[in-house]
Amino acid sequence: MGNNYLIIALVFFPFAAGIGSYIIGRFHQLARDVFLYFALALELTGACCLFATVGTVDSFVWEGFASLGLHFKLDGFHISMSILASFIWLMTTLVSKEYFKGARGTNKYFMFILFTLGAMQGVFLSNDLYTAFIFFEVMSFASYPMVIQNETEEAIDGSNSYLGFAVFGSLVSLMGLFMLQSILGTLQIDQLIEAASHVTNYALLYVASALTLVGFGVKAGMFPLHTWLPQAHSVAPAPASAMLSAVITKAGIFGIIVVSCNIFLHDAQWGLAIVIFGTLSMVTGAILAVFSNNIKRTFACSSVSQLGFVIIAIGMQCILGEHNALAVRGTVLHMFNHSLLKLALFMGAGVIYVCMHTFDLNKLRGFGRKKSVLWFVFGMGLLGLAGVPLFNGYISKTLIHESIVEYIGMMPEQTAFAGLMQTVEALFTFSGGLTLAYMLKIFVAIFIEKNPDNQAKLDAKKTYMSKLTMGVMIVSGVILPIIGTLPYWTQDLLADTAQGFMHGHAPASPVNYFSLINLRGAAASIAIGIIVYFLFIRVCLMKKNENGIKIYADVWPSWLSIERMIYRPVLLRLLPFASALAARTIYVAGDTAVRLFRKLLFFKSKDVFTPPTNHRFGTYDAPVQPKRIINKSLAYSLLLFGVGVVAVMLYLMIINAS
Amino acid sequence: MGDGIFLLIPILFPMIAGLVILAIGHRIARQIYVGTVLVLNTITVFLISFLTEVSSFTLWKFSGSLSVMFRFDGTGKLFACLISTIWTVACIYAFEYMKHEGKEKRYFAFAVMSLGVLMGLSMAGNLMTLYMFYEFMTLITVPLVIHSQGRDALKAGLKYLGYSVLGAGLTLIGFFFLNFYGTGTAFSEGGVLDLAKIAGNENALLAIFLVMMIGFGCKAGLMPLQAWLPTAHPVAPAPASAVLSGIITKAGILGMIRVTFYVFNPDFLRGTWAQLTIVILALATVFVGSMLAYKEQLLKKRLAYSTVSQVSYVIFGIMILSPQGLSGALLQVIFHAISKNALFLSVGAIIYKTGHIYVKDLKGIGKKMPIVMWCFTIASLSLIGIPPTGGFVAKWDLALGALSPDYGGVLGYIGPAVLLVSALLTAGYLLPIIRDAFYPGKDFDYETLEKTEANAYMTAPLILLCIAVAGLGMFPMGLQQVISGITGAVM
Repeated sequence: MGNNYLIIALVFFPFAAGIGSYIIGRFHQLARDVFLYFALALELTGACCLFATVGTVDSFVWEGFASLGLHFKLDGFHISMSILASFIWLMTTLVSKEYFKGARGTNKYFMFILFTLGAMQGVFLSNDLYTAFIFFEVMSFASYPMVIQNETEEAIDGSNSYLGFAVFGSLVSLMGLFMLQSILGTLQIDQLIEAASHVTNYALLYVASALTLVGFGVKAGMFPLHTWLPQAHSVAPAPASAMLSAVITKAGIFGIIVVSCNIFLHDAQWGLAIVIFGTLSMVTGAILAVFSNNIKRTFACSSVSQLGFVIIAIGMQCILGEHNALAVRGTVLHMFNHSLLKLALFMGAGVIYVCMHTFDLNKLRGFGRKKSVLWFVFGMGLLGLAGVPLFNGYISKTLIHESIVEYIGMMPEQTAFAGLMQTVEALFTFSGGLTLAYMLKIFVAIFIEKNPDNQAKLDAKKTYMSKLTMGVMIVSGVILPIIGTLPYWTQDLLADTAQGFMHGHAPASPVNYFSLINLRGAAASIAIGIIVYFLFIRVCLMKKNENGIKIYADVWPSWLSIERMIYRPVLLRLLPFASALAARTIYVAGDTAVRLFRKLLFFKSKDVFTPPTNHRFGTYDAPVQPKRIINKSLAYSLLLFGVGVVAVMLYLMIINAS
Repeated sequence: MGDGIFLLIPILFPMIAGLVILAIGHRIARQIYVGTVLVLNTITVFLISFLTEVSSFTLWKFSGSLSVMFRFDGTGKLFACLISTIWTVACIYAFEYMKHEGKEKRYFAFAVMSLGVLMGLSMAGNLMTLYMFYEFMTLITVPLVIHSQGRDALKAGLKYLGYSVLGAGLTLIGFFFLNFYGTGTAFSEGGVLDLAKIAGNENALLAIFLVMMIGFGCKAGLMPLQAWLPTAHPVAPAPASAVLSGIITKAGILGMIRVTFYVFNPDFLRGTWAQLTIVILALATVFVGSMLAYKEQLLKKRLAYSTVSQVSYVIFGIMILSPQGLSGALLQVIFHAISKNALFLSVGAIIYKTGHIYVKDLKGIGKKMPIVMWCFTIASLSLIGIPPTGGFVAKWDLALGALSPDYGGVLGYIGPAVLLVSALLTAGYLLPIIRDAFYPGKDFDYETLEKTEANAYMTAPLILLCIAVAGLGMFPMGLQQVISGITGAVM
């Protein structure tokens, strides 16, 4: 078996290109932009070419790199993820030029997004948790400058959260990897099943895997580790948010899949835990999104929620065991659909920001009227994300939903477990409804309502984006309905390619996406969504301001956030204080002893005279006849003598006792 | 006698050459001379290391078991190569830095002579020689600590001297006992214990072991004798702090390795209370050091606390008493030496150019001194243990050594967990500096910004160290081969 050098080229080319673009950018901005486009187009072409090499040489091993070596492997899933990453990078970079016009430090920014792309390729093509971890870390650090780019106070705060969670997660993961390596003896993904089957101490394996999951869960915004995501994604520049939401979160999902579908292949207990965490993320994200009045924050919360759907699908794979075809396909497809949707939506948000310099829903009211391209992109995003039939999100959500329904149907009688799964199913439908509700909130505000203050000024903005941006927007908007209406030629194909990675099979009979029962599920969600929008959002979340105009009110109490209530106070105040107190106490023990000894040795009776020239030494002053015979220093000597006697007694006692 | 008379070259050459420095008044001439001496010495050490097998040489025999004897084995070679390289790099950096400290002649004379002593320490072949060079080292590095001659420096120097002499004294106690219980005091793989004499006195010997380890631990910043380190390192000039933190602490480690693997025997120590005690002390030090560094605002002192913590990783690795643990320990020795030097040297460059010594003053420093701060960043990432830098490779071996079934037990899990908590704290005390340096915030004043990048004498050593820490992290194969030779010989 030789090596497929295309893989390693794909991984390391972006690093080289990043340095190249930095150097070119020092001299000429336009040349740098052109260079970037070419480099990313080349990367995308390279990723597509991987398909041509599958079946001949489909792995790359670099022995000894960073001790355990790098292992890469190709299969449908790896290649699809790699193409997705390159595609989204190319699209977002094409719009970046307009977004960053006149901004400071873009050279550095572009260098780091290329580094991040290289690291992403490393994660997605890896055949080894060790390799994945190395690139995962590189990615975490390389994407940090993307988050902090704006350098506003919020950006710095958000990036602190981002980095804090990333470092914490990765170190916990590292502990998990240490343990996995020591239990399983290997971290190679295609050997994990075999190695896990020989494990006797299952409890330890659960602990190790759960620890490993923390780092990946952080990136995937899994509850309760999701709090950084809405903050970081909403403060990053819009093109960076698109990358973060669409691709970088998927690195976390990738890790969850590796652990769940290999070490715990068809393990229902593990699956249940994953489903529960997925459900919590799904619901939390959706609720936060409904309350948010900042469109980018809404999209970011929506990412938490949508990734929750994906995590549920991964859990269902484990629960369903051999018959998990629907869950497997749902996982893959929802990952991709979410990426494409978030790409379109965040770029749309970026276009708005370039014109308005705000993401506040109240200020953006009516901005989108008479702007057809923007209307189209947001409309497609709305319909796709909400899972409306004929749009892409519908297909994947239906698959995941069906897998839950199928499992409930398989259970013979009413048990607590069945009740739990029914709750999950109900919450699933409910969250689908919330998705529609929060998207409607944004859509209605921007495209239907009129701005109470300056609608005429907003309507006058005819050229609100460049030709290039418009082209990119149209492409990313048009993809969504195409893959939604033609699932059998597009989405099924993707699922067939990628399912092998999760050890899934094609379903016994092709799924009839547009059958009555599936449409009914979607209809339920849509109905819930419309009810929530009209009866909750328009009633409870809109308040009249002093001018009597209804505005979107900030109802969510600012203190109600896990991060501000628990994580930050505990991790940044309480724990450091307690530990530092303990540490300092232990630490000064030595110095205190020394100080005590010095006090003993240099004990100064009244007669000792310390010359000012040398404070360390004391001499006896000119002899003064003591008036009293018994004075303080004699008492002190007696005391010391007593201590000595006690010590000797103790010693004798111990000697005699033993 | 042995045939290794050439071993005296790297010991005596710097010592004599160092004395000559006192006679050279012209700055440029002195710099050329020092540079040549150090480079020549490094080349010699590397040549001897790679071209010769284990060679030994007895210089002088007092009586029976007392002799000054050199033996250059795998461990010694590793330390000698590391020390001489880093020393050269730090001294080249000092050419520029010491201009602002003054008294350059004295500094370089003692720095070069110290290198000779350290070479002697690496090559020491028995306990007596080790002890002798250990004390020499303490004495000859005191002038580096008190270089500025301020009141703080003098006090710190006295503290350094006091603790070091106490530590060395503790090791001397062990030496007396081992002279009796051993078959000799010359180092050999597998130890020199005379099992017949020991029978019945195992606990006494373990106590001796503990005392010796604590004695050597003084230099390595192991609790309870760590207090001198954060006092003495920050007051020295930056290049001296760098080698004190990066190299001199490792002399204590060398002593510990010699005692554990070449005098005692890992099999004798495995599973005993002495092993347990030192592991607990090491883990406590790891945590306490990191925690105090996290709270410290004076940057050089923060790095000194960090040294306390990081060097105890090594002690933990040694006391795992398994090949993988020792391999992790030796890798940590190397990567900590490189990255801590890089950190101290970058801080030195900042002090040299801007005079800032507190963490809070470093906002936007990355815009003024990008190269220096990039080096600081890479070294920090290695210190935290972020792949693919060297620190990660070391940590991987340390943790897997601890988790392996030979070591086992609850401490096998607590150990790596403490290392990771410490890594989290390390991230907590280094990353904010980097963030503020490169991202000073929206309202940072870019108008008055002027580039104050250090010159090549300072940046070149930094870049070299950073390339080493990242390069060796990515391609550690050669290093691991050397280290597996060492671990294979002793276990």
